[in-house]
Amino acid sequence: MEELSRELYGNIGVVSKILFYICAFTSMGIFAYGIFKRRKLWRIGKATGEKIDWVASAKALRTRVLSQKTVRSGVRKKKAGLFHTLMFFGFIILFIGTVLVAVEEYGHILFGIEGENLFHKGIYFAIYEVFLDTFGLLYTVGAAWFLVRMIQKGREDSVGYRKSDFFLVTALFVIGWSGYWLEGLRIIRENTAYPWLSYVGNAHAHLFQFLGVNEGNISAVHLSIWWFHGLLVFSFIASFPYTRLLHVIAGTYNLVLVRRKPGDMIPVTVEELEETGKVGVENVQDFSQRQLLSLDACVSCGRCTDACPATEAGKPLSPRDVVQDIRKHFNEVAPLVIDARKNDRDELEDEALAAAPNLHGDVISAETLWSCTTCNACHEVCPLDVSPVSIITDMRRFLIGEGALSGPPAAALQKVQRSGNPWGLPARDRFNWAEGLDVPTVQSNPGFEILYWIGCSATYDRRIQKVAHSVVKLLELAGVNYATLGPEERCTGEFARRMGDEFLFQESAENNIQVLKKYNVKSIITHCPHCLNSLNKDYPQFGGDYEVMHHSQYLSSLIKDDKLKVDSKAVIKEDGSITYHDPCYLARVNGIDSEPRHLIEAAAGDKALEEVARSGCESSCCGAGGGRMWFDDEPEERIGRTRVEELLETKAKTVAVSCPFCLTMMTDGIAAKTDKVQIKDISEILAEAIEETKKISSHTDNNKYKKI
Amino acid sequence: MKILVPTKRVPDPDQPIHLNADKTAADLSGIPCIINPFDAIALEEALRIREEERSQAGSDIEIVAVCIGPQACEKEIRIALAMGADRAVHVVSDEYIDSWVASSLLKAVVDKEQPDLIIMGKQAIDADNNQAGQFLAHHLNWPQATFASEISFEGDRVKVARETDTGIENVSMTLPAVITTDLRLNEPRYASLPAMMKAKRKPVDISTPEDLGVAVEPRVEIISMETLSAKRNCVRVNNVDELIAKLKEAGAL
Repeated sequence: MEELSRELYGNIGVVSKILFYICAFTSMGIFAYGIFKRRKLWRIGKATGEKIDWVASAKALRTRVLSQKTVRSGVRKKKAGLFHTLMFFGFIILFIGTVLVAVEEYGHILFGIEGENLFHKGIYFAIYEVFLDTFGLLYTVGAAWFLVRMIQKGREDSVGYRKSDFFLVTALFVIGWSGYWLEGLRIIRENTAYPWLSYVGNAHAHLFQFLGVNEGNISAVHLSIWWFHGLLVFSFIASFPYTRLLHVIAGTYNLVLVRRKPGDMIPVTVEELEETGKVGVENVQDFSQRQLLSLDACVSCGRCTDACPATEAGKPLSPRDVVQDIRKHFNEVAPLVIDARKNDRDELEDEALAAAPNLHGDVISAETLWSCTTCNACHEVCPLDVSPVSIITDMRRFLIGEGALSGPPAAALQKVQRSGNPWGLPARDRFNWAEGLDVPTVQSNPGFEILYWIGCSATYDRRIQKVAHSVVKLLELAGVNYATLGPEERCTGEFARRMGDEFLFQESAENNIQVLKKYNVKSIITHCPHCLNSLNKDYPQFGGDYEVMHHSQYLSSLIKDDKLKVDSKAVIKEDGSITYHDPCYLARVNGIDSEPRHLIEAAAGDKALEEVARSGCESSCCGAGGGRMWFDDEPEERIGRTRVEELLETKAKTVAVSCPFCLTMMTDGIAAKTDKVQIKDISEILAEAIEETKKISSHTDNNKYKKI
Repeated sequence: MKILVPTKRVPDPDQPIHLNADKTAADLSGIPCIINPFDAIALEEALRIREEERSQAGSDIEIVAVCIGPQACEKEIRIALAMGADRAVHVVSDEYIDSWVASSLLKAVVDKEQPDLIIMGKQAIDADNNQAGQFLAHHLNWPQATFASEISFEGDRVKVARETDTGIENVSMTLPAVITTDLRLNEPRYASLPAMMKAKRKPVDISTPEDLGVAVEPRVEIISMETLSAKRNCVRVNNVDELIAKLKEAGAL
């Protein structure tokens, strides 16, 4: 049997080898210098002092990077996700393959072994060859797809096109392909045994032979292709920090070490305000170092802009442009900041900095910032965990601090400030919604187990009051030992925080936390996803730790525990008669999407639900989040207008929601189109079904009675 | 240039108002107060004038907010300073003050401060008198333009578009002058908590009517007040015909 093996550095003379190492070290030097330079730029940002959780990071490396899940999840850019994954795995395997060859080479040098290979031979090498050829093929196919897409789309059309992109994508492909040229030439030159194991390389060997490569010219051809491939790889390595390839490093850091969750916001302290005299981001150096790094993670793929409801409504906001515009500005300004700091000049009075464009106004307009509903769709779809939302809310903080907001949204904030609710209605009327209902309060029922948080909408808005009435009815039916805060509740401050009014939020939160502490509240249910999100994610930052449940979760558990009984046969509704709109802050930000569906199934049978095109995490915003509720938009300019059309396309007679804001927005939007569709909270649908069940069972009971 | 902006403290219009025991005034206990919305518009206009002027080199505009009322007005003064007034004058008085006394006190402040322009609300939303601005112009013998919906400068004159019942009247005045503002002039900016914290450092000049040499002797006395019946008869109708029938029934048609 012929010995299967390969020669290392076959056909490569000493001079070439020396030159090769010089090139290798040069390219790695350029790489390291570039990363060092970027790091210096990132460090003009604020250090947040957040500790790295290495265990969670290790897990994230597996689940978020190695799995390539983030680039493939979602409905958008499925193909790009697939080919990126092929390229990723191909790249990793080829890289490991190269490392193994290096181990072989240095093994020889280290242990002074001459001649035969240590392990690149025999059966191992047979497997190695097949394996590498296959993954190399996947890699090359992936790269080819991106190259074709770029050529087809044209440069101008290609998202956030940079001049280096064409070189980059071409190089990615040619590196992969030219690897096979080399393999083919090696097979010819070394007359490798079992060449069909390297099936792609072997095909190239045949091709080269057909093209006239023979024993006479093989050495020259091989050497020149070897250098071509090598130089291309070195320039590729060197270009890492200077091109989009930087996303490999910055993106991995972002995905693995930062892992910002949607809905998370970093608090500002009063001390910080006193020290710096401002809140939020005025200039690019006011961003956190992690945010600046995340700008470099962005490859400008545009998933965020495709998912943005504000973009969809024609608002002057595109999350990708926000990130890319700030990145461009950052590249321009960061060196000036470093220079000013190095020379001990005041950044605010520095001439060079003053001459540069302003982040606010010149780079990002106030209209752009105020267009965001903080629905988090952009962050959710980002394969590299970039959060345009956090960039926007941090910049809003500055605008609020400067008083750069007027009209109805400013009035809503002022009203929370003085009356504890965005309508400015009297705090003492907070319990009027429960008039005539005998709803227990923390005072009338001090031994309560669970607190029902009402929220401002159900307190003052007559339509939403009905939601609270339904929930109360269901809690009473199930015999739950609950209570409400009565007039002592006030706005959670959720929308104030997302609008950038951090201190109004903190004031509201501290107030509420004190009240909740006074009554020793441990568990809370609420029908409002915004209250839920604030109690769940914001309040723990200020010492308020509670078990917080959405009413859909709690009602669903009551049904499962048989405390709420619905005769599912009696209440079955027509197939597809109900559709469900997932609220952003419920499904996307807090991951609650199965319980509301369980309630619909319980209340109307398992065929009643007709899913809308975008559901669950993919849901599209009604337009009221992030304080947008308080902006006056003309109907045709409203965010969520297309969502209304999408919901109506399901032909369902009832649109189920589970958020007071969504209920208001969808009711307005649908009323403008048709009067044939009802909009209801899931608790209302459930309460009606139980009411129906009762009617039917009392009917049958009566009949029985008559018979007896 | 110096702009004086009188800012009155009034009860929050979103809150239901109850009368005191002898029905001569509103019972303000527990009612949050705000800057009279028309005065807030006046202050916003002063701030915008300053911001626009700022881009022109060499101009320096000082904005002084004036508040007449009890100690509790501190909070609204803070808001005015947070919005952007440079400093404030607080004339402390717990007594009932009518428009004449208010304008007399303002005149005393004007004599001291010597502003080039006074911008104030056309009326305060508590008493709705619509007199203080006009009285002040009288005391000072200055030109006045009431109900402004647009203000601009032309050389050393100020141009004001006045909202009248029948349309817009454009007038031009010499300075110094008094302008009272209408609703559509602008939308006041938001004074956030950080801005209010920073405003703590701005100076507030505190005085009393005696310090200013003005006797608090109101010429108008409130004899009694009555609230409108809050009872409303709401009926839900199912269609337009029913609505018309109901309106006819109620004598509205």
